[in-house]
Amino acid sequence: MFGKGKSAAKQEVRKFRTVGIPRALVYYLYPALWETFLRELGLTVVVSSPTSRKTVEHAGLISETEHCLPVKLSDAHLAELSGKVDAVFVPRILSTLRGHIACPKLGALPDCARAQFSDDFNVISVEINEARIPLEASMAELGKRLCAKVTDIQRAAERALSAMRTAQTESKPLIRPAGALYFLVIGHPYNLHDAFLSGPVFQKLETLGVCAEPVSFSCREAVPEPVKWDTCSIIYDRLRRLDPQEWHGVIHLSSFNCGCDSIVSTLYHDVLREKKIPLMTLVLDEHAGQAGVDTRLEAFVDSIKEQHEHAATRH
Amino acid sequence: MNMPQLAIEPWGNYSLALAASVECLHVRPWTHTCTTPEILKLGVEASPEFSCLSFKVTTGHFIKAAMEGVEYGVMVNSQGTCRLRYYRMLQQKLLKERGFNLFIFGLGYDGIKPPLIRHFDPTMNDFLRCCFRARLKVLTIDELETAAWTRRAVEQRPGDTTRVMNTALRDLDQARTVPEIAAFRKTIPARFNQIPVHADRRPLKVALLGEATILRNSFLNQNIEEVLGGLGVEVRNFFLLGEEMRNIFNIGLWSKNGRSALRRLAKPYLGTPVGGHALTSVAHTVRCAQEGWDGVIHVSPAGCMPEISVRPVLRKISQDMDIPVYECSFDEHTSQVGMITRLEAFVDVLTGRRRKKGL
Repeated sequence: MFGKGKSAAKQEVRKFRTVGIPRALVYYLYPALWETFLRELGLTVVVSSPTSRKTVEHAGLISETEHCLPVKLSDAHLAELSGKVDAVFVPRILSTLRGHIACPKLGALPDCARAQFSDDFNVISVEINEARIPLEASMAELGKRLCAKVTDIQRAAERALSAMRTAQTESKPLIRPAGALYFLVIGHPYNLHDAFLSGPVFQKLETLGVCAEPVSFSCREAVPEPVKWDTCSIIYDRLRRLDPQEWHGVIHLSSFNCGCDSIVSTLYHDVLREKKIPLMTLVLDEHAGQAGVDTRLEAFVDSIKEQHEHAATRH
Repeated sequence: MNMPQLAIEPWGNYSLALAASVECLHVRPWTHTCTTPEILKLGVEASPEFSCLSFKVTTGHFIKAAMEGVEYGVMVNSQGTCRLRYYRMLQQKLLKERGFNLFIFGLGYDGIKPPLIRHFDPTMNDFLRCCFRARLKVLTIDELETAAWTRRAVEQRPGDTTRVMNTALRDLDQARTVPEIAAFRKTIPARFNQIPVHADRRPLKVALLGEATILRNSFLNQNIEEVLGGLGVEVRNFFLLGEEMRNIFNIGLWSKNGRSALRRLAKPYLGTPVGGHALTSVAHTVRCAQEGWDGVIHVSPAGCMPEISVRPVLRKISQDMDIPVYECSFDEHTSQVGMITRLEAFVDVLTGRRRKKGL
């Protein structure tokens, strides 16, 4: 029984020259980390091109119809890498935060990638379960599977981790002109940092004169109650600590058919209702029309502005 | 004496067994073996838009119970990765918002003495008696179901098996004590043997796999077992509570359907349990292919997190091992007519495959 597992692990140890990383899910959950790590190990890393309308359309054609949008996009990004690389890196993400669990869909990703793209490329995978094993150990395991030397792995891991820290803190500091509205934009990192999905929202908010800040995932601590899903828990923690004096509104970027958001969005609503901060949920899907999003944002901003002016005249 | 009432989440025919099991707590059980359109409507109205059908239905049941003045409810307490973990918390919140006064107890993973038992505090004697009663009833229902699936496919007059089944369930509900249930269990073969059958027919064998709530709730799955049975298909619903109980309590670790056996089967295709019944679905699909079943129907609520995430894997197994897998999702808009047409088409495909293979 145990021998079998070992031989299966051994089979995976092979030399690859070019490794692809899909610009989806894990790419945004660990910004710059895996890219830097694999490059430092001496591999040529190909990251699929940024999401475009074409990617979204292709995703609708090849992916399982009932997946949520980010997983569909991940499939399209994988398909784009086919023919360009020897192998693709798709980790098994079970948890990205201590005491938490990841969305169950992320756990089955390497199996699905193997099932769908077995003819196109090999799938390199490693288990990321930060609830049980530290990230460094997962990286060491991956390095071992790629036949790298221990010293190389350690050096690469250090550089990769520091690259991730800079990428997470690098976001431009929010300029706070007096009298402007401040919005927090929440959502899974793969929705929030995919420029194709969230870009139009941030641009529109800027033209409306609103200072919008995406929620940061650089903190590695959160209370796993009542939300056990990692990214949702970080957001929930942030919302609990939000100061109503400082923030005028929250925009929740959710994706269609997201199982986590279907449950936690009611919790977000409750927290913010208590604090009297308005919340709007925008659901992204592959048919999203820009006009619809614009109108809703305009209406949301207008109503908040009016409320503030009203409050100001009364005082 | 005015006994408090306890609402139990719907578990298909197993609701009968669960109802019997809580009688030891000196409460009146409130349960339905089947959802009604009214309950579904209540649940859909109250639930978040994108929550799964299982959540909507269980919520609907609790709201209906609360409207009828039930004070307590009991709901599974999951520690898994899927949305089931949050059901109880969210349902309690939804009920409170609507001004209902129904407290939902969590069942399982709460220490040796769950809050439900602590609250009603039955004597040890009562508790054990009812545990045995419930276990026996669950096993009896398993046996009834299995008999019905095989008989329905070959019955001469359509509807005979369903009639026998309904009488049997009514009789089982009347059986209260362990000896009574045991006596009833002995009559099962005789009950089903009286149905006239086509002895020469070799029906298609189709496995029903997937999410438990939908598999067991004949209203939600549009009566899929009976529809397939009527088309001359022998079904096997892979959610049997007796087996599931054994897995939950880790008894029968080495049995064919034990957790480790299933994990070994699924290993080449799925390296993680994912959550829910995803691993079970994959493992049983592999086994059905190995055992030469005619087809597999994968049943899940629309957007079910674990089940949907393994669908590409199921498709791969279907290709590799040459077994037709039909995936169907259910939501509150699923119509019976559409379902029947699709099942008829699937059964036609399976019949064609048999003919081509010269069987």
